[in-house]
Amino acid sequence: MDEPRGKPRTPRFECLPPGQKHDFRSPSQRIHDGDDLKFFLGSTTYRDITTLLSLLNRSMFPSLSDGEIKSWNLSVRLESSATIKALKDIISMLSSLTEKAPPDTGPRRFGNVAFRQWYQIAEDSIPTLLDDLIVHHVPGFNGTKPEMRSEIQSYLLGSLGSAQRLDYGTGHELSFLAFLGCLMKVGALKPGEERTVVVGVIQPYLELIRKVIMTYNLEPAGSHGVWGLDDHCFLPYIFGSAQLGPPIRDLDADGTPIEGSCPNAPSPASVTNKGTVEAYKDANMYFSAIQFIYDVKKGPFWEHSPILYDISGIKDGWGKINKGMLKMFVAEVLGKFPVVQHFPFGSLFKWERDPEAVAHGTSLHAEEQPKSKDTTAPQSATASTEQDPSAAGVGTQAPWARSSGASMPSGQSSTGIPTTRAPWPNGQPPRQINIGRFNTGSGSGPPKKLPVQPRFEEK
Amino acid sequence: MSDLDRAIEQLRACRPIPENQVRELCYKARELLIEEGNVVAVDAPVTICGDIHGQFHDLMELFRVGGDVPDTNYLFMGDFVDRGFYSLESFLLLLCLKVRYPDRITLIRGNHESRQITTVYGFYDECQRKYGSANVWRYCCEVFDFLALGALITGASTDMQPSDANIADINSQSQWPSEPSDIEIEILNQHNQITHRYPRHRPAPISQDLSQLSNTPSSPSQAPDQAPVRNGAPGTGASGHSRGSNNNKDGAVFCVHGGLSPLIDTIDKIRLLDRKQEVPHEGAMCDLLWSDPDEIDGWGLSPRGAGFLFGADIVKCFNYKNDLSLVCRAHQLVMEGFKEMFDSTIVTVWSAPNYCYRCGNVAAILELGEDGSNAGYMPRSNGDPNRSQGIVAPLGEREQALMKMGPGRRYRVFEAAPQDPRGMPAKKPVADYFL
Repeated sequence: MDEPRGKPRTPRFECLPPGQKHDFRSPSQRIHDGDDLKFFLGSTTYRDITTLLSLLNRSMFPSLSDGEIKSWNLSVRLESSATIKALKDIISMLSSLTEKAPPDTGPRRFGNVAFRQWYQIAEDSIPTLLDDLIVHHVPGFNGTKPEMRSEIQSYLLGSLGSAQRLDYGTGHELSFLAFLGCLMKVGALKPGEERTVVVGVIQPYLELIRKVIMTYNLEPAGSHGVWGLDDHCFLPYIFGSAQLGPPIRDLDADGTPIEGSCPNAPSPASVTNKGTVEAYKDANMYFSAIQFIYDVKKGPFWEHSPILYDISGIKDGWGKINKGMLKMFVAEVLGKFPVVQHFPFGSLFKWERDPEAVAHGTSLHAEEQPKSKDTTAPQSATASTEQDPSAAGVGTQAPWARSSGASMPSGQSSTGIPTTRAPWPNGQPPRQINIGRFNTGSGSGPPKKLPVQPRFEEK
Repeated sequence: MSDLDRAIEQLRACRPIPENQVRELCYKARELLIEEGNVVAVDAPVTICGDIHGQFHDLMELFRVGGDVPDTNYLFMGDFVDRGFYSLESFLLLLCLKVRYPDRITLIRGNHESRQITTVYGFYDECQRKYGSANVWRYCCEVFDFLALGALITGASTDMQPSDANIADINSQSQWPSEPSDIEIEILNQHNQITHRYPRHRPAPISQDLSQLSNTPSSPSQAPDQAPVRNGAPGTGASGHSRGSNNNKDGAVFCVHGGLSPLIDTIDKIRLLDRKQEVPHEGAMCDLLWSDPDEIDGWGLSPRGAGFLFGADIVKCFNYKNDLSLVCRAHQLVMEGFKEMFDSTIVTVWSAPNYCYRCGNVAAILELGEDGSNAGYMPRSNGDPNRSQGIVAPLGEREQALMKMGPGRRYRVFEAAPQDPRGMPAKKPVADYFL
């Protein structure tokens, strides 16, 4: 694969002009089929997300000034702005909420239903916390703006996992990235703060998520099993490999290194050494993610994590790994229908074409997404995954399902188990059935269909 | 030694066979499977297994615990592939065994035996990695299209011939039924030690059973006065003289990967489907492979985005109508390896221990013994080592009196295979992203 598609030569991340009136709105899902996915890959939202990611990524490379190398260990003390401190407080508050929602001790199959309680408390507390954040940290806003809060809140809530399915995956992680993007767009986070955002906000967020996954035994959303990069996340592999990459000059505008490592960086091969992983887990995001795998999985590393195992054999250093991780994120997260179908679009991350986008004729995956009503998977659909060990969360979802929590009867208990969900684009009309009962005894054709469940309707 | 036996030997050692052999194997398997009906008839004794998901070493453990093919008859309820590291080796071994011992092993289709699902959930990637091309994946998918959708087990014994195995924890024995003939369920661990025995619940009076059913608006056909008179074999829709939803004499056991469908009220309707295709996104065939039982009334939307949720009333009606004593399905991980629901009218069997290396669950297989009700017949039980010696337990009067019942069920529960012998392999070339 060539350069990640849409990776901007000159990164552009659109922010709101300060002080100007802006119409916020509640974001909604727009990606419903392969064509929508293609549109997304040429949208301003896609551009903004990839730009944001490369800005954050670049900030994490060690810096070189006056012949001195400075690495951005997680333990390093960075000066935080008031916004960053406020975000940290929100995350630690969410973390402490687990005490208010102890895991259910009753019989269960897998995921712990107490997660729903935790999520509910989080959902109840977040509006106030965000109102606070907006009042104090968004320049030019003196009062609470409910519309603004409601738009930003969607992304934060979307980053906490699925209460309905008791799962967490890369789509939720993406939502957190978008949440931070919103704060940048409204000016609460400022250019130059990228490094502090990664170390001071993203890493605590990942720790929160790991705690929540462990506490409630959350299922990896849409897991590919051993054939994914990681059951739940992607970002720590990107930023963690950047931390160990070759040093760059702070003012160096020449892009991001594509190979080599920082002197003294542990070798990529050392991820199979539990001792080394233990030694670096508190300093480096890549190793902290690997440590989590060791914490939750039993078995040989090469067998339960073959993709990471193969990557550990890369000889061209962490810079090479970093570049690959970025490409992989673009293809396996942003480019995958089952993941981005849940991403909502509003006034900040807009559903609009990027006029400068390069033609996106190259997305095989989008091309080959079955259209609505298409019941046979085209054999060529697989071409998109050729050579692409993919990454995402263990549930089997039918790939065609737009199984957003909102479309499900909320009273329905999820199995809460690594289950398979339909991955196909749900272009077809919702299957309407009588949620109560209907007669199976008549033997005369299909049961009577009654619309019952309201769904999120796209405009 | 035939090529097939050699392939079996190689696969048992967890080494993939060459591409041309896979092609030949898949061709032979298709020829065999095409002759099978959508619902395969299987005679007890048989050992029923749930999801495998490429956990090859655990599949070997399953054979160790349950007995080897062809000594033990097996029925696998699908989901052989995806997520695990050895989907290829696991599926090809099962396929080889099917071709070698067609009457000893039955394979039915799971929702993962599909092109679209395997491209999302790992099997496609695995084939690419192990062969460098998608050919083997394509051959396997062509076999998937021919797998049966369900199986109907007849001739299962209502008696639980007590195993002569040792007791795991002698203290728990005091709570067990004193009379061996009272046993309905026996649970053994992977060391062939009995961990639990459950007594047979006396069948509820039939009238009560029916009054309960007739209160269900969704099942008017179950009203006593409408109870059909049937003479055919169980599960044919024209069958049987039993009238309850469980504890049927002669009640057959219906095996399917996922569950029931609102479009299917009789097993005969499954026989009418055109199954030789990719699993559709909706409709009866899709539902059979995707649905889940749940604590609801009637039908519900499935959070999976395919198939439905169905409640106890649906299962009881279906069993009654089709003269079944039990629906046996897989599809959902259960921490204890198996889970009986709705007054034991349906059971979930899960055979992938410590699923995805992290779930911490045990796995189970379900053994149904052969009906030993014929006078003087020496009952056998499937899967007991040295079973050819027979297991001596003469039928008493008491058992004769309790004949109208569901099958006796022996669950063997096992943990993930030990991992030490697996050495670290060479690193493979990384994905294109990293080149």
